[in-house]
Amino acid sequence: MRFLRQAGVIAAKDLRAELRTKEAINSSLAFALVILLMFSFAFDPLADTTREISGGLLWIVFAFAGTLVLNRSFARELPNDCLDGLIAAPVSRAALFLGKACASFLLVLGVQLVSLPVFGVFYNVPWTRQFPELLLVLVLGTWGLTVVGTISSALTVNIRLRELMLPMLTYPILFPALLGAMQLTAGLVAGNPIGPDEYGWLKMMVGFDVIYTAVSLALVETILVG
Amino acid sequence: MREDVLYYIPLGGTAALAAATALIASIGFLRTRNFRFDSLARAATETLLAFLAAGIVSGCFVIHSASGRWWTWDARLTAALVCWLLFATCLMLRQAVEEPSRRAAFAAVWTVFACLDVPLVVATAAWWKPGKALPIEWTWGRFGLLAAIAVVGGLFTVVRARQEEARRELDSRRRKAFES
Repeated sequence: MRFLRQAGVIAAKDLRAELRTKEAINSSLAFALVILLMFSFAFDPLADTTREISGGLLWIVFAFAGTLVLNRSFARELPNDCLDGLIAAPVSRAALFLGKACASFLLVLGVQLVSLPVFGVFYNVPWTRQFPELLLVLVLGTWGLTVVGTISSALTVNIRLRELMLPMLTYPILFPALLGAMQLTAGLVAGNPIGPDEYGWLKMMVGFDVIYTAVSLALVETILVG
Repeated sequence: MREDVLYYIPLGGTAALAAATALIASIGFLRTRNFRFDSLARAATETLLAFLAAGIVSGCFVIHSASGRWWTWDARLTAALVCWLLFATCLMLRQAVEEPSRRAAFAAVWTVFACLDVPLVVATAAWWKPGKALPIEWTWGRFGLLAAIAVVGGLFTVVRARQEEARRELDSRRRKAFES
């Protein structure tokens, strides 16, 4: 219970800091909209073939825009040596990680929920037809992205080429989760519910999230303290 | 089945053995903080990348002789490519971190992450492109080839691990001499 309260305090602090400065969320939103616009130049946005690959397009946008939020997760603590203060605070490093992951998760999910209607309008996709199932896939995919991204953010916070290293580390690991999310999202935004053949993808995404959350919580101490 | 597969499979098998070695060495480092494990993990990762790259190139030749194209999104090739990228990031991370103990710890953590992802990558690639991979028929000849290539991989790993140990020793003596 104490662990969850500590994680909640860290998450609230991160959300408060982000909502005051809006440095990550504004750039992430703007980036998502620009990519959605640029994809419509590359493919005919109203063609049936574009709708078939729309799940993939959407998750590419989410992954790229999400990286901008995740890059700031630990980098936000660098000025005034706040990261050292956080590590020295009487809070377990796992709670620190979980709090930061929850804050990033809410921010990335917010960016996605703003991008979805824009995507629906630009590409004329009836994305609201299966909204509860789509929200489930968004939550599972985003939690995977956030957990791996937050641990990568902790790894790269003090190294050279931080902004470049984070996506390089994150995307290959995310291959199973992103592939599952793309497969499911493509059907859902076309208005088709998740069928029995697709439950395997859903289970795999749950498994990915559970495995990486558990391993990240176990190894974050090594990353932050050494 | 095509005879070219003879190279495709043992090279991938040796890479899988190298991945298992890298995982065990990384866990060993995280538990003991002994830098010998770190040298072994680095050497095994390099072996994995070299042999998996050779396996992917060999796979491209199989595809080319069968269909005239150099690449197809066959489940096995896709999984091999993603795994290669996964472990390439471990070496990139090593190059980006300057302080030796942090470098070793970060690389060990990321190797554990990459190794956990391998079964998921293989399974999802197979679901994504079902029924596209060539079947593998295991014969004594192929086991022999796997063993021979695995021995070469093992030797490569040992030589690289020793080189890494020697380099670390040299660096440590240089630092001590500089400090004194």
